[in-house]
Amino acid sequence: MDFIYTIISPSLLTQIFVGLGRTVVLFIVASGLSLILGVLRIPNIWHGSLYMVGAFVTFTVANAFGGGTTGFWMAILIAPLVVALVSLVVERSFFQHLYEREHLMLLLLTFAFSLVFGDLVKMVWGTGYKSVSAPRFLEGSVDLFKGVTLTRYNLFLVLIFPIVAVALWFLVNKTKIGKISKAAAVDREMVSAVGINVSWVFATVFVIGCFLAGLGGALVAPTVSISLGMDHTLIMEAFLIVIIGGLGNMWGALLGALIFGMAQSIGILAWPQFGIVFPYAAVIVVLLFRPTGLLKSTW
Amino acid sequence: MKRIIYLSILMAGFLGLCFSPASYAAGTIKVGIVDTYSGPPANLSKDVLDGFKLAVEEINAKGGVLGKKIEFFTRDSKFNPAIGLAMAKELVLKEGVDVLMGTINSATALAVSELAKKEKIPFLVTNSRSEKITGEKGHRYVFSVAENTAMAGRAAAIALSKMPYVKYWIAGDDYEYGHAIAESVWKELKARKPDVQLLGQTWWKVGESDFTPYISQIISAKPDFLIAATGGASMVSFAKAAKATGLLAKIPIYQHTVVDYGIMGPLGPEGPVGIYGTVPYLFYYPESPSNKAYVEKFRKAYDRYPQMFALFGYAAGKLIAQGFKKAGSVNTEKFINALEGMVIDSPAGKLEMRACDHQLGLPMMFGKTMKSPKYNFLVAGDIVTIPYKDYMPTCEEVLKTRKK
Repeated sequence: MDFIYTIISPSLLTQIFVGLGRTVVLFIVASGLSLILGVLRIPNIWHGSLYMVGAFVTFTVANAFGGGTTGFWMAILIAPLVVALVSLVVERSFFQHLYEREHLMLLLLTFAFSLVFGDLVKMVWGTGYKSVSAPRFLEGSVDLFKGVTLTRYNLFLVLIFPIVAVALWFLVNKTKIGKISKAAAVDREMVSAVGINVSWVFATVFVIGCFLAGLGGALVAPTVSISLGMDHTLIMEAFLIVIIGGLGNMWGALLGALIFGMAQSIGILAWPQFGIVFPYAAVIVVLLFRPTGLLKSTW
Repeated sequence: MKRIIYLSILMAGFLGLCFSPASYAAGTIKVGIVDTYSGPPANLSKDVLDGFKLAVEEINAKGGVLGKKIEFFTRDSKFNPAIGLAMAKELVLKEGVDVLMGTINSATALAVSELAKKEKIPFLVTNSRSEKITGEKGHRYVFSVAENTAMAGRAAAIALSKMPYVKYWIAGDDYEYGHAIAESVWKELKARKPDVQLLGQTWWKVGESDFTPYISQIISAKPDFLIAATGGASMVSFAKAAKATGLLAKIPIYQHTVVDYGIMGPLGPEGPVGIYGTVPYLFYYPESPSNKAYVEKFRKAYDRYPQMFALFGYAAGKLIAQGFKKAGSVNTEKFINALEGMVIDSPAGKLEMRACDHQLGLPMMFGKTMKSPKYNFLVAGDIVTIPYKDYMPTCEEVLKTRKK
């Protein structure tokens, strides 16, 4: 391994791996946002709230199963499903009637939902900070190579990434619903003209997108303090990622998340005092040279 | 004619209805609370409110003050100074409150403080920790019941200067509280122990959820000691990340209020052992009868342990009651004169409202998180109590900032 260190320092290597862990969570959440944006044309600010709800449900489920390893796995499994169910109810009762409205209206509507859900979460879970522990085998850190230490949870996130990415690729490119939704994104009327129930296609896509927000919230729960307001920070980052990647483009979301996560972790190493500006600076640079995003936008 | 009489009676009745709240108000002492009850800071503001309610219930159960019950109104300022100021104005003009209380947001606290000065309404700051409130922006009508960043930093520096560490790193939330607390610790530490060095600083945005990239960089910089200047929900995330990344095992950390139950409670038995912290109140220490009685009452009322913020609400309630009692009437100027130098009994012992700058003197406990045989979460151990007279900035130092 030592020869690698002549090119790249162990601390830079550590930052790269750490940045990858962050990228995974950002990608999962942003890909859901991008999917909804691409197919349904909804700039869904409510997405952040679902991420928050995902984290809070993780807390509840993990505790219901007595915490520990079982609690963690059950929570990771159940929390995104609960979020998906919530989103299905909201989609069927509200959003499905409003797809034809202009984007500003939809933006305001989803913003209103994010405020309502902020208060709902406060009513259900209270104002206190919540915390979930990672299972024992994911606690602490591990020496990846000499001098490169990584938290086990971070490594777990990096390993989960291919599973999510392949599943998403399969869903969009190989399944019927994926193909229909791709077509519907291009021409909604044509798809319904050939006898496909577009309304349910949209509902399915919406629920899948929201499921991803819940999954992101569940995966991030063991590393953060689960609290009110965690939706706001994330939704901003997710939107930036979707914008630099190309609106509605799933792989754009991946590229955007990678740029955002890496700019953050490597920026911190370069200049810790002003580390926070790097991801935003990266966004500005991308938008200066590619105003429509890096990859082809579906809009 | 009959019709006119009938109408005027109706009119008189209507006017009477309009003014009846005013006549009713003469029977109570009105406290207006402007604070953030939504979003992340709600956790702290609610604790303040619960503590205050407890004090008010005690006082009213004994028949109130000067034969009047204490009545309070709450308004959600949504962490927004403009909203907070509008709410405070509404409380003063419409509800006609005798005393204002709040707020977690320092900018709101300073804005309401200006209003208090103009309207001559006493304002008790119960949770903002900005040292400007009683420092450079201090005046006759504003009082601070919470410990401020200058106090916290100085108390921490006293404890840290006795430790052998030399090479320090500072990391924190990139907002006023974070910078103020870090600056205050560092200034005092440098004065008490001139050989300390600052290797570098890291600042992350408020609400940052993932500290791993910041922490791995700090570990590779190899400082002897880390001063973490975080607040709110980040306290929990940071403590978690410090344990998971192995930072805590490599580098000792100090974080103001980390030992508070509000932070250690949620982390449970798996919380990070060995973080140093300062805090003005702990529900399990000292085990005085007054603390025990307060905790018991609090648990009965809210089914949870009190965080440190509840103490500020409770102390504010006590100050209001005792202040009006000593003043002998509901008169603002007399009330303020009464509060100056007033000593109240509290779960944290006797607390004095300093006459010179209107800052409540609080004891500061310096301790280290450790496992407890009694509780299902970490508690502070190896506690050293620093009395407020040892660490508070002197009256001259505070008043000097007001002249600038």
